[in-house]
Amino acid sequence: MEYQWDWSVVTSNSGAFVRGIQVTVILSILAMLLSSVCGLGVALLRLNGFGAVRVLVTVYVEFFRTTPLLIQLFWLYYGLPYVTGISLDPFIAGLLALTLNISAFNSEIFRAGIISVGREQERAALALGLSPIQAGYRVILPQAVRRVIPPLGSQWVAMFQNTALVSFISVGDLMFHSLVIRANTYRSLEVLTATALFYLLLGYPQAKIVDYLKRRSMTSEV
Amino acid sequence: VPSFHFEIVLGHLAFLMEGVIVTAQVSVIAMVVASLVGSAVAALRKYGGPLLGVPLGFAVDSLRAIPQLALMIWTFYALPVLLNQPVSPFVAGVISLGAQYGAFMSEVVRAGLDSLSPGQEASALALGMTRTQALRRVLLPQAIIRMLPPAGSLLVGLLKDSSLLFGIGVLELMNRAATLNGLYLRPFETFTVVGLIYLLMTYPITIGVNWLYSRLAPLVAS
Repeated sequence: MEYQWDWSVVTSNSGAFVRGIQVTVILSILAMLLSSVCGLGVALLRLNGFGAVRVLVTVYVEFFRTTPLLIQLFWLYYGLPYVTGISLDPFIAGLLALTLNISAFNSEIFRAGIISVGREQERAALALGLSPIQAGYRVILPQAVRRVIPPLGSQWVAMFQNTALVSFISVGDLMFHSLVIRANTYRSLEVLTATALFYLLLGYPQAKIVDYLKRRSMTSEV
Repeated sequence: VPSFHFEIVLGHLAFLMEGVIVTAQVSVIAMVVASLVGSAVAALRKYGGPLLGVPLGFAVDSLRAIPQLALMIWTFYALPVLLNQPVSPFVAGVISLGAQYGAFMSEVVRAGLDSLSPGQEASALALGMTRTQALRRVLLPQAIIRMLPPAGSLLVGLLKDSSLLFGIGVLELMNRAATLNGLYLRPFETFTVVGLIYLLMTYPITIGVNWLYSRLAPLVAS
C-alpha cells in the first residue's frame, strides 16, 4: 500500500516545535559565549599556571576531550547530586555539560593560537616597555584571536549539533519536542523529517559561515 | 562525605566489556563505510563535473549541519516507514554514522588531494605515467599520509558519537552503563568508570595515529 503522507502533524504542533527551537537556540548561544570565555581561561591557566593547577587543568581537558559528551552529561546530571547533594536543573546541567565539553576543545585551540604567535613577539613587546599583561592583551591576544576564529567556528557548529543530546535528560529542546510529538502522533516520517529540516535550516548557514572564515584565513596567512 | 562504591561497577567489567566490543564493532564498520563513501564523494566532486558536484556538495554540507542524534533517530524511526521494511538499531546506527562521517571524510580526502602541488601530477605525466598511474603511484600515497591526522580525529569523534546508539537501543557501552546505573543507582561511579573505559579506547587511537604520521610524514614531498 502506498504511504499516505500527512504533514498536518507538523503544522498542528508548530507551537511545540517553535518552543523547542527557542530552547535549542538559547542553549547554543549561552554555551557558545561561556565556552569561549572559559576556553580562553583554561588555555591561559595551562600556559601560565602553577604546577598543580596545570596538572589539574590538563586532566580536565584530556578527560573531556576523550570521553563522549553523553557520559559527561549523565555524570553531571545524575552523578554530581550523589556526591555534592546539589541537584541541577536539567537545563543548567545541559548547559554546564556543553560548556565544560566545548571549553576543553576551545582551550586547545586558544593554546595553539597563543603559541603560534611566538615568544619573539612577547620579548619584543617587553623590550618596548610593555608590562607582561599589556604584552598579552595588546600584542599576543589580538593576533591569536584572529587565528583561532575559524577553528572556534567549527567547534561552535559542532556544539550547536551537540545541544540535541540534552533531550536525553528531558530538556525541552527541538529534539525532545520532536520525540514527544512522534510518540503522540505515530507519524515518525513527517515529524522527524521536519525536525531534520529545522536543524538543517539552523545549522547550514553556520557551516557556510565557518567555511567562509576558513577560506579567508587561508588566503590571508603568509 | 559521600561513600564511593566503585567495586559495584568494577564487579561488572565483563558485562561492560561486551559493550566495548559492540562499540568497537559499530565504530570500525561505520568508519570503513565513511571512508568508502568519503573517497567516492570526493572523487565524484573533483572529477564528476558540476552536474554531480553541486548536488553532492549540498548533500555533504547538509549532513555536516544536522546533529548526529537527529540523523540517527530519523534513520531508525523514519527510514523504515519510507522503505516499508524494518531497519535494525545496529544497522541504523552504522548508516547514520557512516553517512555523516562519510561527509566529513569526503572533506578530508578532498583537502588531502588538494594539498599536493600541481607540479607533482605534471612531473608524473612527464615521466610517462598515465593519469591513473600518477594518481595511484604518486598522488594517492602522499595524500593518504596527509589525511591520517584528520582521519584519526574523525575516528575518535565517531567512537564517541557511537554512544548515541544508546538512544535507539543498541546494547553498546553507554547503554550498558545506563543499565548498571539503573540497577545500582551509582551514577557517579558508573559514569566515571565508563568514561575511563572510553578514554582507554580513544587515547590509543590518537597516540597511534600521531606515531604513524610522524613516521610517514617525511615520505611526503614538501
